[in-house]
Order: sequence, then C-alpha cells, then structure tokens
Amino acid sequence: MKVHQFLTSYSYGDAIGNEALEIRNYLRDRGIESEIFSLFYHPRYAGQIINYKEYAKYSAAENVVIFHFSIGSPVTKTFLRLPDRKVMIYHNITPHHFFLDYHRVLAKDCFKGRVELKNLVGKVDLALGDSRYNESELRELGFAPTGVLPLVMDFTKFSRPMVPVIKDIFADGRTNILYVGRIIPNKRIEDVIRVFHFYQRHFNANSRLLLVGEYRGFERYLSALQKMVARLENPHVHFTGHVPEDELISYFRLAHLYLHMSEHEGFCAPVPESFHLDIPVVAFAAGAVPETMQGGGLLLQRKSLLETAALCDRVLRDKSLREQVLESQRRVIRGYHRDRTGRILIRHLQDLTGNDEALNAAGDSSS
Amino acid sequence: MTDEAKTPQEASLFTAAEDIDVREIMADIQRRIQEKKASGVLRQVEIDEIEEMELQPLPDFLEIPNVYENHLYPGQDEKPFEPFHLEPELEGGAAKKVLGVFRRLLMPIMRFMLRPFRTDLQNLVVELHNTNRQDLHHLKSLVPVVQQSKEYVKLLHNTINNMIVEASKLKIEEELLKTKIKVLEDKAAFLEERQRAVEKKLHDGS
Repeated sequence: MKVHQFLTSYSYGDAIGNEALEIRNYLRDRGIESEIFSLFYHPRYAGQIINYKEYAKYSAAENVVIFHFSIGSPVTKTFLRLPDRKVMIYHNITPHHFFLDYHRVLAKDCFKGRVELKNLVGKVDLALGDSRYNESELRELGFAPTGVLPLVMDFTKFSRPMVPVIKDIFADGRTNILYVGRIIPNKRIEDVIRVFHFYQRHFNANSRLLLVGEYRGFERYLSALQKMVARLENPHVHFTGHVPEDELISYFRLAHLYLHMSEHEGFCAPVPESFHLDIPVVAFAAGAVPETMQGGGLLLQRKSLLETAALCDRVLRDKSLREQVLESQRRVIRGYHRDRTGRILIRHLQDLTGNDEALNAAGDSSS
Repeated sequence: MTDEAKTPQEASLFTAAEDIDVREIMADIQRRIQEKKASGVLRQVEIDEIEEMELQPLPDFLEIPNVYENHLYPGQDEKPFEPFHLEPELEGGAAKKVLGVFRRLLMPIMRFMLRPFRTDLQNLVVELHNTNRQDLHHLKSLVPVVQQSKEYVKLLHNTINNMIVEASKLKIEEELLKTKIKVLEDKAAFLEERQRAVEKKLHDGS
C-alpha cells in the first residue's frame, strides 16, 4: 500500500506544505511509499513535488490519498474521481469576506472552496481536521467518519543558531514585539499595529514591532497598512516580507512578546512555536486559537487595543507574571510532538484500511 | 455576574492559566490607563481616533468597468432603436368617419365660398405638397446621418470613460508602485544595516 498526498499549493514556508512534507518523511521513514502531488509549487521543490495531473500513473484502488483541503481548486475534482481510498485533512477556509476589498480572485476561490467542501460530504472515506475546531465544522457539514490530526510541529528546526547579522541589528536593547504570518486581511495586522502604537507611545518608547511574513499578492493591503503607519507617524514598525527559515528563527529568538490579533485561524502554528521558544504570547481568541493555546499564554476575549497594549506592558515588565505565563505555555508545549501526530495518522490509516501489513509494521515501529 | 451578562467593557479582557490573577492584572491595567489619562499624557480623543482609524485600501481596478453604456443608456438592450416615422399620419377610426360626414355636408358651401380663390389655393396646395415631399425626402436621407452621429456620441462617451478609467488605473498603479518603493527603501535601509553589521563582524574577526 502507498499513501500519497494532494495539495492545491505548496508554498515555501507554508504551514500546510510543511505538514505535507513532515507526513511524507514520517511515512517514508517507516517504509511506506509516499509522494506529494500539487497544482502549484515553489520552484525550490521542483524535484520533490509532482504535478497532480500525473497522479493517474500512481493511482490504485488499494492506495490511500490524503487531500489537504484549504481552498477551492481543480484539484478537488481530480481527487473526487480517483479510485483510491480518500482521506481529507481540512485546514479550514478563510471566510471570503475578508478578501473582498483586497483580492477578488482569492475571495472567489475561498467562496468556491466552501461550496466544494459541501460537495465532498459522503465522498471521502475519512475527514480529518487539524484541530477540534475544524473537525466540528466537518461534522456540522455532515462528514463521517471524522477525526483530528494535529498539525505536525517540528521544533527541531529551532535548535539552529541565530543569524548573527540579524542579531546584531535587532538585539540592540529595544523590546521586540513579534507577529509571524502572512500579511493578509483576516490576520488583522492593523490591530497589531495599533496595539503596538499605544504600547510604544504610552508604555515603552524603546520598542519595535516586527511583522514577519509574506505580503505578495496583497500589495493593496500592505499599502493600506503602510498608510496607517504613516498616519500614526510611528517609525518603529518593520515589515520584513518573506524571510528564509534561519532568519525566521532569529526573529523568533529576538522577540520579547508574540502578539496575534487574527480574526480567523484554523490552527495558528506560530503560537506553539512561540511557546516552544519561551516567548510570552498574547493572542485574540478567534477560530482554533483557544484550542491551540490550551490555556497557555494570554488569550484575549475581546478587542480593546489600549488595554491590550497595557497588558503587553505588564507581561513585559512583571517578571513573575512573565514566568507564570511561560510556565503555562511550557505545560502546553509538552503535548506537541512530531511523533505523536505521526502515530495518530498511522492509527487513522489502520482504521481505514483494516489490517494492512505495511501500516501495522509502521504502527509497531512508532509505538 | 457571568461574562455573558456583562457589557463588553466589563467583561474580562483576557483569560489565562489558573495561577494567574486576571482580576488583579485588569485592575492594574485600568489604574495605569486612568493615571495616564489624569496626567494628560493620554487623551480620550487620541484613543478614539486610533481605535476608530480605518484602513483606506486602494480600489481594485478590476472593479472599474471599462464600458458604461448600460449606465448612460439604461434599458437600451431591452428597447432597441426604432426608425423615425416621417410620413404624415392622418386621423383614423371614428374621428375620420365623423369628420368625413361634416366635410360632405359642408362641401357645397365651401366650394361656393372658395370659388374665387380656387385656382390660387389649388396651386398653393400643390406647391406645399411638393415642398413637403422634398423636405420629407431630405429628412429621410438625414436619418442614417443622425443615427451614425448618435453612435459617434456613444463612442465618444466610451472613449472619455475609458480615458478616465485608464487614468484612475494609472493613479492606483502609481500608489502601488509607491508602496513597492517604500518596501524597497525599507529593504535597502535594512541591507545597509546588515552590511554594517557584517563589516563590523569581519573587522572584529580580523
């Protein structure tokens, strides 16, 4: 038996892409043949990712195909027509209204994605959500059976040393407040900026905001954010754009606080990453964020920008509070392990395929 | 009082691990904000202005229609152009019959009264008829010209509209380019800092 994966887009540094890669490596390590098929992929992965149209050569009824579903695309139609056993991992679809003012094509794809998701009901053998929040959406739509496959979190990458130059530039005594993620409207970067502005103006002048993430395709949103920064007359907001992994790790290591004000999240990978790196997290409770934080960090229940700025200041000033927050995060992070997700995946596949020898062997080796 | 029963201002701002005293932190936050307000460092106007500040995104030029005929000539598609009727329309139906009866009754008197001028009037009517026929012919020849002119006016409107659309697109493009320049400026500044840091490292190492 072979387990292959389908994706719409495999972007460099993208959480879904990383998840697919981790699953493939995990399965290959256990002797199960596995490939990734995608519609779009970063040229960097040209040798590793195969065009989804070539899947016909690999397709077989005894295979399992895992489809990472997060947006509407022609891949869904191809996936539905396969004779293979079908597993869907639902990473959630951002509600299209967030993109209406900024990206008509993406708004359309997100809308189409919700329609396609409804069409998948009853046509997949197993529907998995990468959080309970996503699984509950699947159940509400009528998918059965469903399950949860937590996002594979590989923290080993954080053992790499910092990029010395980044350290020299940003480790200058200023308090670094960090946001990591794409610069897109549902992340409400404007709220992050405004909270930081209050913090920088009224609580700690010696601070800066680092907004680390890709903005390509959302230049009009970036432009609106820059206009806002100009109106606020705050020169301490830095948009880094997309950065390589070693630089991203450096930004994490330089951060004194992680601030997340997003209004829609299917999982929110930077939160457990911050937990792992002992960075206190202040995040707004939207989508799957409360579930991802599991009681760790500080979870905002409502948006009050000035109060949030004061809260950030308190966490950064009060050592004992900071230690309490970090301890709560450490308790949570112990539950996130790459092997744990792999074992859950193998268990789901065993349930789906019955007594498959390759899976049983893989299950034995991982237990 | 449960959080659901509280107003948004009263509900706790955040939740945290059990060992963290949320109430004490909230009280501290409120106290500090009040202190700043009392000292005049923080004004309510400023808070409101920033909290209510909205993003001003550039319009998407894909949303600007290139053709606006439907707005300028509404209902044009449903009701296509009909040619003008230049033939004189005579009364018809019941009116024609009634008038015919009167005309027949009065005809002997009219003939008697008009007898001295009959020839002149006949010539005049023939002349008027000929003139009208010529005018009618001339007007008919003008119909295609008027229709063509109408199409030219439409084309002109569309051309002006397209020029405005293109100018707007160029303006948006210019704004986006400005953003890109700003990003490049930031990157250049960052690279300069990076260069200095690398030079410093090299200098320290040698």
